Amino acid sequence: MDLICIGLNHETAPVEVREKFAVPMEQLGVKSHELTELAGISEAVVISTCNRMEVYVASESVEEAEVSLKDKLDYAADNEHFYEFKSKDAMQHLCKVVSGLDSMVLGETEIFGQVKKAYQFAHGAAATGGILNKIFQKSFGVGKKVRTQTMIQNGQTSVGSVALDLAEKIFSDLKHSKVMVIGAGEMSRITVQSMVLRGVKKVYVTNRSFDKAQALADEVGGEAVRFDDWNKVLTEVDVVISSTGASEPVVTRAQIEAVRSKRKYRPLFIIDIAVPRDIDHEVGEIEEVYLYDLDTLQQQVEQGKAKREEQIAACEKIISKEVDGMAQTATNIKRKKYGNS
Amino acid sequence: MALMILSFVSQLWALSLRGEQRGSCPLMDTGEYCLFLSWSLTLFYLLVGSTYRVSLLGMFTAPVVTVLLLVTGLPGVLDVNPVHANVLDYWGEVHAPLSVLSYGALALGAVAAVMFLVLNNFLKTGQMSSGLFQNMPPVHTLVGSMVRLTIVGLIFLTIGLVFGFFMSTDGGLHLWVAKVVWIAYLVLMAVWFIRGMTPQRMAMLLLVMFIASLSVFAAL
Repeated sequence: MDLICIGLNHETAPVEVREKFAVPMEQLGVKSHELTELAGISEAVVISTCNRMEVYVASESVEEAEVSLKDKLDYAADNEHFYEFKSKDAMQHLCKVVSGLDSMVLGETEIFGQVKKAYQFAHGAAATGGILNKIFQKSFGVGKKVRTQTMIQNGQTSVGSVALDLAEKIFSDLKHSKVMVIGAGEMSRITVQSMVLRGVKKVYVTNRSFDKAQALADEVGGEAVRFDDWNKVLTEVDVVISSTGASEPVVTRAQIEAVRSKRKYRPLFIIDIAVPRDIDHEVGEIEEVYLYDLDTLQQQVEQGKAKREEQIAACEKIISKEVDGMAQTATNIKRKKYGNS
Repeated sequence: MALMILSFVSQLWALSLRGEQRGSCPLMDTGEYCLFLSWSLTLFYLLVGSTYRVSLLGMFTAPVVTVLLLVTGLPGVLDVNPVHANVLDYWGEVHAPLSVLSYGALALGAVAAVMFLVLNNFLKTGQMSSGLFQNMPPVHTLVGSMVRLTIVGLIFLTIGLVFGFFMSTDGGLHLWVAKVVWIAYLVLMAVWFIRGMTPQRMAMLLLVMFIASLSVFAAL
Protein backbone atom coordinates (compact mmCIF):
# COMPACT_ATOMS: atom_id res chain seq x y z
CA MET A 1 0.00 0.00 0.00
CA ASP A 2 1.47 3.31 -1.08
CA LEU A 3 0.43 6.93 -1.30
CA ILE A 4 0.17 9.04 -4.47
CA CYS A 5 -0.67 12.72 -4.79
CA ILE A 6 -1.50 14.27 -8.15
CA GLY A 7 -2.57 17.89 -8.37
CA LEU A 8 -2.19 21.39 -9.67
CA ASN A 9 -2.08 24.77 -7.96
CA HIS A 10 -1.76 28.51 -8.51
CA GLU A 11 1.93 28.13 -9.32
CA THR A 12 1.60 25.40 -11.91
CA ALA A 13 -1.71 26.21 -13.58
CA PRO A 14 -3.48 29.39 -14.70
CA VAL A 15 -6.97 30.08 -13.47
CA GLU A 16 -8.63 28.72 -16.67
CA VAL A 17 -7.03 25.34 -16.03
CA ARG A 18 -7.80 25.41 -12.30
CA GLU A 19 -11.43 26.20 -13.10
CA LYS A 20 -11.61 23.15 -15.35
CA PHE A 21 -10.54 20.83 -12.53
CA ALA A 22 -12.38 22.55 -9.69
CA VAL A 23 -14.77 20.35 -7.73
CA PRO A 24 -17.69 21.96 -5.86
CA MET A 25 -17.44 21.41 -2.11
CA GLU A 26 -20.65 19.38 -1.89
CA GLN A 27 -19.28 16.92 -4.48
CA LEU A 28 -15.92 16.31 -2.80
CA GLY A 29 -17.18 13.17 -1.02
CA VAL A 30 -18.83 11.72 -4.13
CA LYS A 31 -15.78 12.40 -6.30
CA SER A 32 -13.48 10.85 -3.70
CA HIS A 33 -15.67 7.76 -3.58
CA GLU A 34 -15.72 7.53 -7.39
CA LEU A 35 -11.93 7.35 -7.37
CA THR A 36 -11.94 4.36 -5.01
CA GLU A 37 -13.89 2.46 -7.65
CA LEU A 38 -11.01 2.77 -10.11
CA ALA A 39 -8.54 -0.05 -10.58
CA GLY A 40 -5.70 -0.09 -8.03
CA ILE A 41 -7.14 2.64 -5.79
CA SER A 42 -8.40 1.67 -2.37
CA GLU A 43 -8.69 5.06 -0.64
CA ALA A 44 -9.01 8.63 -1.96
CA VAL A 45 -9.40 12.24 -0.85
CA VAL A 46 -10.07 15.07 -3.31
CA ILE A 47 -9.10 18.59 -2.24
CA SER A 48 -10.40 21.53 -4.23
CA THR A 49 -9.95 25.22 -3.39
CA CYS A 50 -9.70 28.30 -5.60
CA ASN A 51 -5.93 27.88 -5.75
CA ARG A 52 -5.54 24.11 -6.00
CA MET A 53 -7.03 20.75 -6.87
CA GLU A 54 -5.27 17.71 -5.47
CA VAL A 55 -6.06 14.06 -5.27
CA TYR A 56 -4.52 11.81 -2.62
CA VAL A 57 -4.93 8.10 -3.13
CA ALA A 58 -3.75 5.02 -1.26
CA SER A 59 -3.01 2.17 -3.54
CA GLU A 60 -1.89 -1.42 -3.41
CA SER A 61 -0.50 -1.10 -6.91
CA VAL A 62 1.07 2.26 -7.59
CA GLU A 63 1.46 1.77 -11.35
CA GLU A 64 -2.11 0.63 -11.81
CA ALA A 65 -3.46 3.47 -9.63
CA GLU A 66 -1.38 6.03 -11.48
CA VAL A 67 -2.72 4.93 -14.85
CA SER A 68 -6.37 4.89 -13.83
CA LEU A 69 -6.07 8.18 -11.94
CA LYS A 70 -4.38 9.97 -14.82
CA ASP A 71 -6.93 8.55 -17.21
CA LYS A 72 -9.77 9.81 -15.00
CA LEU A 73 -8.21 13.28 -14.74
CA ASP A 74 -7.57 13.47 -18.49
CA TYR A 75 -4.00 14.07 -17.44
CA ALA A 76 -2.53 13.92 -20.94
CA ALA A 77 -4.33 17.07 -22.07
CA ASP A 78 -2.93 19.23 -19.27
CA ASN A 79 0.05 17.23 -18.03
CA GLU A 80 2.39 20.25 -17.94
CA HIS A 81 0.26 21.77 -15.16
CA PHE A 82 0.24 18.73 -12.88
CA TYR A 83 2.67 17.71 -10.19
CA GLU A 84 2.99 14.28 -8.69
CA PHE A 85 4.36 13.05 -5.37
CA LYS A 86 4.67 9.54 -4.03
CA SER A 87 5.11 7.95 -0.58
CA LYS A 88 7.01 10.19 1.85
CA ASP A 89 7.09 13.05 -0.67
CA ALA A 90 3.30 12.97 -0.89
CA MET A 91 3.05 13.06 2.92
CA GLN A 92 5.48 15.94 3.05
CA HIS A 93 3.51 17.83 0.42
CA LEU A 94 0.25 17.29 2.31
CA CYS A 95 1.83 18.64 5.50
CA LYS A 96 3.11 21.69 3.62
CA VAL A 97 -0.34 22.33 2.18
CA VAL A 98 -2.04 21.99 5.57
CA SER A 99 0.55 24.30 7.16
CA GLY A 100 0.02 26.98 4.51
CA LEU A 101 3.57 26.65 3.14
CA ASP A 102 2.26 25.87 -0.34
CA SER A 103 -0.35 28.66 -0.32
CA MET A 104 -0.37 31.83 -2.40
CA VAL A 105 -0.26 33.81 0.87
CA LEU A 106 2.43 32.05 2.86
CA GLY A 107 1.18 30.76 6.21
CA GLU A 108 -2.51 31.52 5.56
CA THR A 109 -4.87 29.60 7.80
CA GLU A 110 -7.91 29.04 5.59
CA ILE A 111 -6.32 26.08 3.80
CA PHE A 112 -6.22 24.09 7.06
CA GLY A 113 -10.02 24.18 7.31
CA GLN A 114 -10.46 23.49 3.59
CA VAL A 115 -8.31 20.34 3.70
CA LYS A 116 -10.04 19.20 6.87
CA LYS A 117 -13.44 19.65 5.24
CA ALA A 118 -12.31 17.78 2.11
CA TYR A 119 -11.09 14.90 4.29
CA GLN A 120 -14.36 14.88 6.25
CA PHE A 121 -16.38 14.68 3.01
CA ALA A 122 -14.23 11.80 1.75
CA HIS A 123 -14.45 10.04 5.11
CA GLY A 124 -18.22 10.55 5.14
CA ALA A 125 -18.45 8.98 1.68
CA ALA A 126 -16.46 5.95 2.91
CA ALA A 127 -13.60 6.83 0.53
CA THR A 128 -10.92 6.70 3.23
CA GLY A 129 -9.48 3.80 5.19
CA GLY A 130 -6.62 2.95 7.52
CA ILE A 131 -3.88 4.71 5.55
CA LEU A 132 -5.48 8.02 4.56
CA ASN A 133 -7.28 8.36 7.90
CA LYS A 134 -3.97 8.14 9.75
CA ILE A 135 -2.06 10.32 7.30
CA PHE A 136 -4.62 13.12 7.17
CA GLN A 137 -5.17 13.14 10.93
CA LYS A 138 -1.41 13.25 11.49
CA SER A 139 -1.08 16.06 8.93
CA PHE A 140 -3.61 18.16 10.87
CA GLY A 141 -1.50 17.66 13.98
CA VAL A 142 1.58 18.74 12.03
CA GLY A 143 -0.27 21.81 10.70
CA LYS A 144 -1.18 22.87 14.25
CA LYS A 145 2.35 22.23 15.45
CA VAL A 146 3.85 24.34 12.65
CA ARG A 147 1.52 27.25 13.43
CA THR A 148 2.07 27.14 17.17
CA GLN A 149 5.80 26.41 17.24
CA THR A 150 6.86 28.85 14.51
CA MET A 151 5.96 32.43 13.61
CA ILE A 152 4.66 31.54 10.15
CA GLN A 153 1.44 33.47 10.83
CA ASN A 154 3.19 36.61 12.11
CA GLY A 155 3.13 39.81 10.09
CA GLN A 156 0.47 40.92 7.64
CA THR A 157 0.69 40.13 3.96
CA SER A 158 -1.75 42.58 2.37
CA VAL A 159 -2.20 46.35 2.43
CA GLY A 160 -5.76 45.93 3.74
CA SER A 161 -4.77 43.75 6.67
CA VAL A 162 -1.85 46.04 7.58
CA ALA A 163 -4.28 49.00 7.61
CA LEU A 164 -6.69 47.03 9.79
CA ASP A 165 -3.95 46.05 12.23
CA LEU A 166 -2.82 49.66 12.51
CA ALA A 167 -6.37 50.87 13.07
CA GLU A 168 -6.75 48.35 15.89
CA LYS A 169 -3.37 49.36 17.32
CA ILE A 170 -4.77 52.86 17.68
CA PHE A 171 -8.44 52.37 18.51
CA SER A 172 -8.32 48.90 20.07
CA ASP A 173 -11.82 48.00 18.94
CA LEU A 174 -13.21 49.33 15.66
CA LYS A 175 -16.78 48.85 16.90
CA HIS A 176 -16.71 52.37 18.30
CA SER A 177 -14.97 53.95 15.31
CA LYS A 178 -16.44 55.94 12.45
CA VAL A 179 -14.81 55.75 9.02
CA MET A 180 -14.86 58.16 6.09
CA VAL A 181 -13.91 56.96 2.62
CA ILE A 182 -12.83 59.60 0.12
CA GLY A 183 -13.07 58.18 -3.39
CA ALA A 184 -15.21 55.21 -4.32
CA GLY A 185 -12.66 53.18 -6.26
CA GLU A 186 -11.71 49.52 -5.93
CA MET A 187 -8.97 50.05 -3.33
CA SER A 188 -11.35 52.07 -1.16
CA ARG A 189 -13.98 49.37 -1.47
CA ILE A 190 -11.61 46.56 -0.45
CA THR A 191 -10.21 48.47 2.54
CA VAL A 192 -13.54 49.71 3.84
CA GLN A 193 -15.15 46.30 3.40
CA SER A 194 -12.53 44.72 5.65
CA MET A 195 -13.23 47.42 8.24
CA VAL A 196 -16.97 46.82 7.96
CA LEU A 197 -16.31 43.13 8.66
CA ARG A 198 -14.58 44.20 11.89
CA GLY A 199 -17.81 45.98 12.82
CA VAL A 200 -17.04 49.71 12.46
CA LYS A 201 -19.78 51.90 13.91
CA LYS A 202 -20.47 54.04 10.84
CA VAL A 203 -19.13 54.51 7.31
CA TYR A 204 -19.34 57.73 5.31
CA VAL A 205 -18.52 57.65 1.61
CA THR A 206 -17.70 60.74 -0.41
CA ASN A 207 -16.76 61.01 -4.06
CA ARG A 208 -16.74 63.70 -6.76
CA SER A 209 -19.47 61.69 -8.47
CA PHE A 210 -22.19 61.41 -5.82
CA ASP A 211 -23.80 58.43 -7.57
CA LYS A 212 -20.64 56.38 -7.12
CA ALA A 213 -20.45 57.42 -3.48
CA GLN A 214 -24.08 56.37 -3.03
CA ALA A 215 -23.42 53.01 -4.71
CA LEU A 216 -20.47 52.19 -2.43
CA ALA A 217 -22.34 53.49 0.62
CA ASP A 218 -25.25 51.19 -0.20
CA GLU A 219 -22.88 48.27 -0.66
CA VAL A 220 -21.23 48.70 2.74
CA GLY A 221 -24.29 49.93 4.61
CA GLY A 222 -22.91 53.46 4.98
CA GLU A 223 -23.99 57.00 4.23
CA ALA A 224 -23.03 58.96 1.11
CA VAL A 225 -21.77 62.51 1.63
CA ARG A 226 -21.48 65.17 -1.07
CA PHE A 227 -17.87 65.96 -1.93
CA ASP A 228 -18.25 69.60 -0.87
CA ASP A 229 -19.48 68.53 2.57
CA TRP A 230 -16.89 65.97 3.69
CA ASN A 231 -15.14 68.55 5.92
CA LYS A 232 -18.23 68.58 8.15
CA VAL A 233 -18.02 64.82 8.65
CA LEU A 234 -14.32 65.06 9.52
CA THR A 235 -15.17 66.23 13.03
CA GLU A 236 -16.77 62.94 13.96
CA VAL A 237 -14.73 60.28 12.15
CA ASP A 238 -11.76 58.36 13.55
CA VAL A 239 -10.48 56.81 10.33
CA VAL A 240 -10.11 58.35 6.86
CA ILE A 241 -9.40 56.17 3.83
CA SER A 242 -8.52 58.16 0.75
CA SER A 243 -8.14 56.79 -2.74
CA THR A 244 -9.13 59.28 -5.39
CA GLY A 245 -7.63 59.90 -8.81
CA ALA A 246 -6.89 63.53 -8.01
CA SER A 247 -3.54 64.95 -9.09
CA GLU A 248 -3.44 67.50 -6.24
CA PRO A 249 -3.81 66.78 -2.50
CA VAL A 250 -7.46 66.39 -1.51
CA VAL A 251 -6.85 66.76 2.23
CA THR A 252 -4.59 69.57 3.40
CA ARG A 253 -3.05 70.45 6.76
CA ALA A 254 -5.27 73.54 7.01
CA GLN A 255 -8.42 71.42 6.68
CA ILE A 256 -7.38 69.15 9.53
CA GLU A 257 -6.14 72.05 11.69
CA ALA A 258 -9.55 73.69 11.27
CA VAL A 259 -11.38 70.79 12.96
CA ARG A 260 -8.83 69.84 15.64
CA SER A 261 -10.49 71.66 18.52
CA LYS A 262 -13.95 70.44 17.50
CA ARG A 263 -12.53 66.91 17.52
CA LYS A 264 -11.06 67.61 20.98
CA TYR A 265 -7.69 66.51 19.57
CA ARG A 266 -8.77 62.85 19.34
CA PRO A 267 -6.48 60.54 17.35
CA LEU A 268 -7.18 60.49 13.61
CA PHE A 269 -5.95 57.57 11.54
CA ILE A 270 -5.53 58.38 7.84
CA ILE A 271 -4.79 55.82 5.15
CA ASP A 272 -3.75 57.33 1.83
CA ILE A 273 -3.83 54.60 -0.78
CA ALA A 274 -3.92 56.91 -3.77
CA VAL A 275 -1.14 57.43 -6.29
CA PRO A 276 -0.43 60.34 -6.55
CA ARG A 277 -1.10 60.88 -2.85
CA ASP A 278 -4.37 62.48 -1.74
CA ILE A 279 -3.19 63.69 1.64
CA ASP A 280 -0.68 66.50 2.00
CA HIS A 281 2.34 64.96 3.79
CA GLU A 282 2.30 67.86 6.30
CA VAL A 283 -0.94 66.42 7.72
CA GLY A 284 1.19 63.67 9.29
CA GLU A 285 3.05 66.29 11.34
CA ILE A 286 -0.08 67.07 13.36
CA GLU A 287 0.37 65.44 16.78
CA GLU A 288 -2.78 63.33 16.93
CA VAL A 289 -2.75 62.33 13.24
CA TYR A 290 -1.38 58.94 12.20
CA LEU A 291 -0.88 59.16 8.43
CA TYR A 292 0.18 56.21 6.30
CA ASP A 293 0.58 56.19 2.53
CA LEU A 294 0.69 53.24 0.19
CA ASP A 295 4.50 53.00 0.34
CA THR A 296 4.52 52.75 4.15
CA LEU A 297 1.78 50.13 4.12
CA GLN A 298 3.50 48.21 1.33
CA GLN A 299 6.73 48.29 3.32
CA GLN A 300 4.90 46.64 6.21
CA VAL A 301 3.53 44.01 3.83
CA GLU A 302 7.04 43.26 2.57
CA GLN A 303 8.33 42.99 6.13
CA GLY A 304 5.44 40.67 6.99
CA LYS A 305 6.19 38.47 4.00
CA ALA A 306 9.91 38.45 4.77
CA LYS A 307 9.18 37.45 8.37
CA ARG A 308 7.08 34.53 7.17
CA GLU A 309 9.70 33.47 4.64
CA GLU A 310 12.29 33.42 7.41
CA GLN A 311 10.14 30.80 9.12
CA ILE A 312 10.02 28.37 6.20
CA ALA A 313 13.16 26.50 7.25
CA ALA A 314 11.84 26.04 10.79
CA CYS A 315 8.50 24.80 9.45
CA GLU A 316 10.13 22.37 7.06
CA LYS A 317 12.27 20.99 9.87
CA ILE A 318 9.16 20.20 11.91
CA ILE A 319 7.45 18.70 8.87
CA SER A 320 10.31 16.40 7.84
CA LYS A 321 10.62 15.15 11.43
CA GLU A 322 6.91 14.42 11.60
CA VAL A 323 6.80 12.86 8.12
CA ASP A 324 9.29 10.21 9.27
CA GLY A 325 6.78 9.23 11.96
CA MET A 326 3.92 9.29 9.46
CA ALA A 327 5.83 7.03 7.06
CA GLN A 328 6.50 4.62 9.91
CA THR A 329 2.82 4.58 10.82
CA ALA A 330 1.87 3.88 7.20
CA THR A 331 4.38 1.01 7.08
CA ASN A 332 2.97 -0.46 10.29
CA ILE A 333 -0.57 -0.35 8.90
CA LYS A 334 0.62 -1.99 5.69
CA ARG A 335 2.43 -4.75 7.65
CA LYS A 336 -0.61 -5.33 9.82
CA LYS A 337 -2.81 -5.67 6.75
CA TYR A 338 -0.54 -7.67 4.49
CA GLY A 339 2.07 -9.15 6.82
CA ASN A 340 5.82 -8.79 6.43
CA SER A 341 5.76 -10.00 2.85
CA MET B 1 2.72 38.83 37.32
CA ALA B 2 3.70 36.17 39.88
CA LEU B 3 6.90 38.09 40.65
CA MET B 4 4.94 41.30 41.13
CA ILE B 5 2.56 39.54 43.55
CA LEU B 6 5.54 38.15 45.47
CA SER B 7 7.12 41.60 45.52
CA PHE B 8 3.84 43.14 46.73
CA VAL B 9 3.54 40.66 49.61
CA SER B 10 7.20 41.20 50.62
CA GLN B 11 6.78 44.98 50.58
CA LEU B 12 3.60 44.70 52.64
CA TRP B 13 5.42 42.53 55.16
CA ALA B 14 8.33 45.01 55.36
CA LEU B 15 5.89 47.90 55.81
CA SER B 16 4.01 46.09 58.59
CA LEU B 17 7.34 45.44 60.40
CA ARG B 18 8.24 49.13 60.13
CA GLY B 19 4.75 50.07 61.26
CA GLU B 20 5.14 47.92 64.36
CA GLN B 21 8.53 49.45 65.14
CA ARG B 22 7.19 52.96 64.62
CA GLY B 23 3.87 52.39 66.34
CA SER B 24 2.42 54.52 63.54
CA CYS B 25 2.14 54.63 59.78
CA PRO B 26 5.68 53.98 58.45
CA LEU B 27 6.16 57.24 56.60
CA MET B 28 8.81 59.01 58.64
CA ASP B 29 12.03 58.70 56.64
CA THR B 30 13.02 58.63 52.95
CA GLY B 31 13.37 54.84 52.95
CA GLU B 32 9.84 54.39 54.24
CA TYR B 33 8.49 56.84 51.65
CA CYS B 34 10.22 54.89 48.88
CA LEU B 35 8.99 51.57 50.26
CA PHE B 36 5.41 52.83 50.65
CA LEU B 37 5.45 54.37 47.16
CA SER B 38 6.80 51.18 45.65
CA TRP B 39 4.09 49.17 47.47
CA SER B 40 1.41 51.58 46.28
CA LEU B 41 2.68 51.42 42.69
CA THR B 42 2.70 47.62 42.80
CA LEU B 43 -0.81 47.61 44.27
CA PHE B 44 -2.20 49.74 41.44
CA TYR B 45 -0.32 47.70 38.87
CA LEU B 46 -1.92 44.53 40.23
CA LEU B 47 -5.35 46.17 40.17
CA VAL B 48 -5.04 47.81 36.74
CA GLY B 49 -2.91 45.12 35.11
CA SER B 50 -5.53 42.46 35.74
CA THR B 51 -8.61 44.66 35.20
CA TYR B 52 -7.63 46.26 31.93
CA ARG B 53 -5.29 43.52 30.75
CA VAL B 54 -2.66 46.12 29.93
CA SER B 55 0.07 43.77 28.81
CA LEU B 56 3.65 44.95 29.12
CA LEU B 57 2.68 47.43 31.87
CA GLY B 58 4.53 45.16 34.27
CA MET B 59 7.65 45.34 32.11
CA PHE B 60 7.61 49.13 32.42
CA THR B 61 6.53 49.16 36.09
CA ALA B 62 9.00 46.60 37.43
CA PRO B 63 12.09 48.79 36.83
CA VAL B 64 10.50 51.71 38.72
CA VAL B 65 9.63 49.41 41.64
CA THR B 66 13.16 47.99 41.56
CA VAL B 67 14.75 51.46 41.65
CA LEU B 68 12.53 52.52 44.57
CA LEU B 69 13.42 49.35 46.49
CA LEU B 70 17.12 49.81 45.71
CA VAL B 71 16.96 53.37 47.06
CA THR B 72 15.25 52.01 50.19
CA GLY B 73 18.08 49.54 50.59
CA LEU B 74 20.84 52.16 50.36
CA PRO B 75 22.77 52.63 53.61
CA GLY B 76 21.32 55.39 55.77
CA VAL B 77 18.11 55.77 53.77
CA LEU B 78 16.06 53.58 56.08
CA ASP B 79 16.44 54.52 59.75
CA VAL B 80 18.01 51.50 61.50
CA ASN B 81 16.52 52.41 64.88
CA PRO B 82 13.15 53.97 64.12
CA VAL B 83 11.72 56.17 66.86
CA HIS B 84 8.54 54.76 68.36
CA ALA B 85 5.70 57.31 68.27
CA ASN B 86 4.27 58.16 71.70
CA VAL B 87 1.47 60.42 70.54
CA LEU B 88 -0.50 59.81 67.38
CA ASP B 89 -2.06 62.48 65.17
CA TYR B 90 -4.87 60.49 63.62
CA TRP B 91 -5.49 63.09 60.85
CA GLY B 92 -1.85 62.83 59.90
CA GLU B 93 -1.99 59.03 60.10
CA VAL B 94 -4.61 59.09 57.32
CA HIS B 95 -3.19 62.05 55.37
CA ALA B 96 0.27 60.58 54.80
CA PRO B 97 -0.67 57.07 53.53
CA LEU B 98 -3.47 58.41 51.33
CA SER B 99 -1.11 60.95 49.79
CA VAL B 100 1.54 58.30 49.08
CA LEU B 101 -1.15 55.95 47.82
CA SER B 102 -2.26 58.67 45.41
CA TYR B 103 1.32 58.86 44.18
CA GLY B 104 1.21 55.13 43.49
CA ALA B 105 -1.69 55.70 41.08
CA LEU B 106 -0.04 58.79 39.59
CA ALA B 107 3.22 56.88 39.18
CA LEU B 108 1.45 54.12 37.29
CA GLY B 109 -0.27 56.79 35.19
CA ALA B 110 3.19 58.15 34.39
CA VAL B 111 4.34 54.63 33.46
CA ALA B 112 1.36 54.33 31.08
CA ALA B 113 2.33 57.76 29.71
CA VAL B 114 5.86 56.51 28.97
CA MET B 115 4.41 53.47 27.24
CA PHE B 116 2.15 55.73 25.18
CA LEU B 117 5.07 57.94 24.15
CA VAL B 118 7.08 54.89 23.07
CA LEU B 119 4.15 53.49 21.07
CA ASN B 120 3.35 56.92 19.60
CA ASN B 121 6.93 57.25 18.41
CA PHE B 122 6.75 53.83 16.74
CA LEU B 123 3.49 54.74 15.01
CA LYS B 124 4.60 58.19 13.89
CA THR B 125 7.94 57.01 12.52
CA GLY B 126 6.59 53.85 10.92
CA GLN B 127 8.83 51.51 12.96
CA MET B 128 6.29 48.79 13.37
CA SER B 129 8.19 45.56 13.01
CA SER B 130 9.74 45.26 16.47
CA GLY B 131 8.46 42.74 19.01
CA LEU B 132 7.94 45.56 21.51
CA PHE B 133 5.56 47.34 19.12
CA GLN B 134 3.65 44.14 18.39
CA ASN B 135 3.11 43.44 22.08
CA MET B 136 2.16 46.93 23.17
CA PRO B 137 -1.48 47.65 24.03
CA PRO B 138 -3.39 49.99 21.66
CA VAL B 139 -3.20 53.79 21.95
CA HIS B 140 -6.83 53.92 23.11
CA THR B 141 -6.15 51.50 26.01
CA LEU B 142 -3.02 53.35 27.13
CA VAL B 143 -4.68 56.77 27.02
CA GLY B 144 -7.67 55.34 28.92
CA SER B 145 -5.35 53.89 31.59
CA MET B 146 -3.43 57.17 31.88
CA VAL B 147 -6.62 59.14 32.48
CA ARG B 148 -8.27 56.63 34.84
CA LEU B 149 -5.14 56.28 36.97
CA THR B 150 -4.75 60.06 37.19
CA ILE B 151 -8.38 60.37 38.31
CA VAL B 152 -7.86 57.68 40.97
CA GLY B 153 -4.66 59.44 42.10
CA LEU B 154 -6.48 62.77 42.20
CA ILE B 155 -9.28 61.30 44.33
CA PHE B 156 -6.80 59.89 46.88
CA LEU B 157 -4.83 63.16 46.78
CA THR B 158 -8.01 65.15 47.45
CA ILE B 159 -9.01 63.03 50.46
CA GLY B 160 -5.42 63.07 51.73
CA LEU B 161 -5.30 66.83 51.40
CA VAL B 162 -8.58 67.27 53.28
CA PHE B 163 -7.19 65.19 56.16
CA GLY B 164 -4.01 67.30 55.97
CA PHE B 165 -5.98 70.44 56.80
CA PHE B 166 -7.03 68.94 60.15
CA MET B 167 -3.57 67.83 61.24
CA SER B 168 -2.44 69.15 64.62
CA THR B 169 0.89 70.30 63.20
CA ASP B 170 1.15 73.06 60.64
CA GLY B 171 1.72 71.46 57.25
CA GLY B 172 3.82 74.46 56.22
CA LEU B 173 5.48 74.38 52.80
CA HIS B 174 4.72 70.68 52.43
CA LEU B 175 0.97 71.33 52.50
CA TRP B 176 1.31 74.29 50.14
CA VAL B 177 3.18 72.17 47.60
CA ALA B 178 0.49 69.50 47.98
CA LYS B 179 -2.17 72.13 47.21
CA VAL B 180 -0.31 73.29 44.09
CA VAL B 181 0.11 69.70 42.90
CA TRP B 182 -3.58 69.02 43.51
CA ILE B 183 -4.62 72.14 41.55
CA ALA B 184 -2.26 71.26 38.70
CA TYR B 185 -3.71 67.75 38.31
CA LEU B 186 -7.25 69.09 38.64
CA VAL B 187 -6.66 71.69 35.91
CA LEU B 188 -5.07 69.04 33.69
CA MET B 189 -8.08 66.75 34.03
CA ALA B 190 -10.50 69.63 33.48
CA VAL B 191 -8.69 70.65 30.28
CA TRP B 192 -8.67 67.03 29.10
CA PHE B 193 -12.39 66.54 29.57
CA ILE B 194 -13.66 70.02 28.66
CA ARG B 195 -11.37 71.46 26.02
CA GLY B 196 -9.58 68.33 24.91
CA MET B 197 -5.84 67.78 24.44
CA THR B 198 -3.67 65.64 22.21
CA PRO B 199 -2.77 62.34 23.90
CA GLN B 200 0.91 63.13 23.33
CA ARG B 201 0.70 66.42 25.22
CA MET B 202 -1.31 64.77 27.98
CA ALA B 203 1.29 61.99 28.35
CA MET B 204 4.20 64.46 28.45
CA LEU B 205 2.45 66.67 31.01
CA LEU B 206 1.61 63.68 33.23
CA LEU B 207 5.23 62.57 33.14
CA VAL B 208 6.68 66.02 33.80
CA MET B 209 4.18 66.77 36.58
CA PHE B 210 4.83 63.48 38.32
CA ILE B 211 8.62 63.79 38.21
CA ALA B 212 8.57 67.48 39.16
CA SER B 213 6.17 67.11 42.10
CA LEU B 214 7.96 64.01 43.41
CA SER B 215 11.30 65.83 43.21
CA VAL B 216 9.92 68.83 45.10
CA PHE B 217 8.44 66.60 47.83
CA ALA B 218 11.73 64.70 48.10
CA ALA B 219 13.65 67.97 48.46
CA LEU B 220 11.38 69.26 51.24
